[in-house]
Amino acid sequence: MHTWSFSRRTTPPNATTPRRRALSVLATTAVTALALTACSAPTTTPSGPEFFDWSDVQVAADGQTVKLWMWGGDDQGNAYVDDVLAPAAAAQGVTLERVPIADTKDALNRVFTELQAGRNDDGAVDLVWINGDNFRTGKQADAWFCDWTGLLPNMSLVSDSDPLLTEDFGTPVDGCEAPWHKAQFSFVYNSATVENPPTTIDGILDWAEANPGRFTYPAAPDFTGSAFLRSVLYSESGGYENVPSTYSDEAFDELTPALLDRLEALAPSLWREGSTYPATSEQLTKLFADGEIDMMMTYGPATLTALVENGTLPDTTRVLTVDDGTLGNASFFGIPSNSGNIAGAMVVANEALSVEQQVAKADPAVWGQFTVLDLDALSAADRELFDALPQSPVVPSFDILSRNASPELSAEWVPAIDEAWRTRIAAGQ
Amino acid sequence: MTLSTSNVDVDRAQRHQRERRERRMPGDAGRPLSQSRGVMRTARLVSTTLVALWFALPFLPLVLWSFANSWSAPAVLPMTLGTDGLTAALANGAVAAFGDSLLLSLIVAAIATPLGAMAARALSRRTLPFGRLVSVLLFSPVLLPPFAAVLGINVVLLRAWVPPELGVILVLVVVAIPYTTFSMRVAYAAYDDGFDEAARTLGATSRFTLWRVHLPLIAPALARSAFLAFLVGWSDYLVTLVIGGGQLVTLPLIIASSAAGIGNESSVAVLSLSAVIPPLILLALVSRARNLDPGKQS
Repeated sequence: MHTWSFSRRTTPPNATTPRRRALSVLATTAVTALALTACSAPTTTPSGPEFFDWSDVQVAADGQTVKLWMWGGDDQGNAYVDDVLAPAAAAQGVTLERVPIADTKDALNRVFTELQAGRNDDGAVDLVWINGDNFRTGKQADAWFCDWTGLLPNMSLVSDSDPLLTEDFGTPVDGCEAPWHKAQFSFVYNSATVENPPTTIDGILDWAEANPGRFTYPAAPDFTGSAFLRSVLYSESGGYENVPSTYSDEAFDELTPALLDRLEALAPSLWREGSTYPATSEQLTKLFADGEIDMMMTYGPATLTALVENGTLPDTTRVLTVDDGTLGNASFFGIPSNSGNIAGAMVVANEALSVEQQVAKADPAVWGQFTVLDLDALSAADRELFDALPQSPVVPSFDILSRNASPELSAEWVPAIDEAWRTRIAAGQ
Repeated sequence: MTLSTSNVDVDRAQRHQRERRERRMPGDAGRPLSQSRGVMRTARLVSTTLVALWFALPFLPLVLWSFANSWSAPAVLPMTLGTDGLTAALANGAVAAFGDSLLLSLIVAAIATPLGAMAARALSRRTLPFGRLVSVLLFSPVLLPPFAAVLGINVVLLRAWVPPELGVILVLVVVAIPYTTFSMRVAYAAYDDGFDEAARTLGATSRFTLWRVHLPLIAPALARSAFLAFLVGWSDYLVTLVIGGGQLVTLPLIIASSAAGIGNESSVAVLSLSAVIPPLILLALVSRARNLDPGKQS
């Protein structure tokens, strides 16, 4: 009974990649149902406490215990929070406790249930590592505490025009979540078996056709598989500029046929002739680790360094940088509106944005997550700290990886493309 | 001469013994109803061994993974051994989770076992009005889809301001009661009320009868149901997470979140082993309790 929501995924936490799809559908239905009932519940929507300035927050935060609900599948991420972030929060008078969960939806479920029960100011969830779909679901249900990021002193280190940080998969952030780190969709290959790696996404598909059985991608709606579909959509449409980020039926009907035709033609050249697809990005990584395929993809390149180091992946693993650029997104901290420790949660989110924390987290030996700080706006001394970071032997630095980066489509595109893939490609297996 | 007579005596004694043994009928105390020989015996041995292997084999990779610092295909055995998995498991809070799990399961067992025993006693006496309805109600938690039930109950518990830890215990006790009731009903079906009646007739108080006659007689069954109730608390993920709201981080929670990632195989193996061992120890204790069963000694 305890296996209902063991979804498996690497970062980021927005990934909806259930190992058991039926169960996840159930969970999603429950979340949606709860979100809807939470919307329609006659209880007044809580807005949380009001703070006039930062010192106000600090006074209120002193002595609070903040429960951070986060996906617990990344040992490095867990260790960073326990050993680096928590002590820094403790120095500010805030106790940070991590609640490890198998799926970020579990945290949303809890919040929605509490709101439905009218528990508006003593919720068990104080802080959630979140983005994308889960953020949007929570925002629609008014489950987030909003307009608080402007108070954080360290937000001045973040560019206010960076589209990755002002919109989360097309949902305006509106001060309802604070940025934590960036992620870049990456293609990964084994340099021992791929001698002349392709340089474009189109080239990757050509390579897959020239090397039958050595490439595959996770089945949508896995988060990574779904990102791959969007990447190919950009590539087939001649660049992201040609795909309107807001969804419309016309744009969908015009652009997706080329994507589906290409993937249909590709299918016989995939691993097991496309008769089956890995269900999750973890299964894809496993295929790559076991040498069954020579190229894979991930939305969490930060984990690659450690996976190579601990022997899970071959040491000939390399990240492929493609000329046409890849998708990028950011992870955030959200505070549920019914948290009883909102001030403490704000202190933690602010601390996580400090130069020291962002530098420590960016170190591949610690976690290797890309910073959300605006490096150009930092002081020379602070900039130096980032420049001095050891280079990962596997993952290129963010400026190389994010060259020509393409923005994420709005969240409405995602289920539409996934569904088209499912009915056309997966059904034709 | 003396030597040969004693030899004859020994022979005779042995023959006597053999004859006496052969005169004992199948089904006599200490004798099976039938005795398998030859092919059947071999088949039974082989099948027992196979079943034992079937149960034991899954633990082998678990043990290997626990001490594997690196193990990737196509290597048949771990490439480097070490304690990285243990270190990672400890860093992820394994010790605290183990303690929480143990405490939770023991509390659930301590509450669900006597309740199950009392329910089973009442049902077995057949004096209960609407007995069938009561037993259907008692068993209904097994039939309900846990996800829907737990989410629904949680709203009620939150509205009633039940502390999350208490809520977890309450719900898990309800989940455990069908199992304890069922195993106690089996025990009471075979229980002879004559023991209690005899003790009361001889002047024992009802309390004395309960403690010195009744409980010792049903102790093995109580141990078995306590074991089942313990398992309910020990293996639960859903109730602990949803109703506990992060207040209780038990072993299943960190195993689930750990297993949701990649490259954690050795720490997941360590965590899983630590989750398997306490029930195994309890199982050994429970089967010892059965050996103390006075009914078995006669």
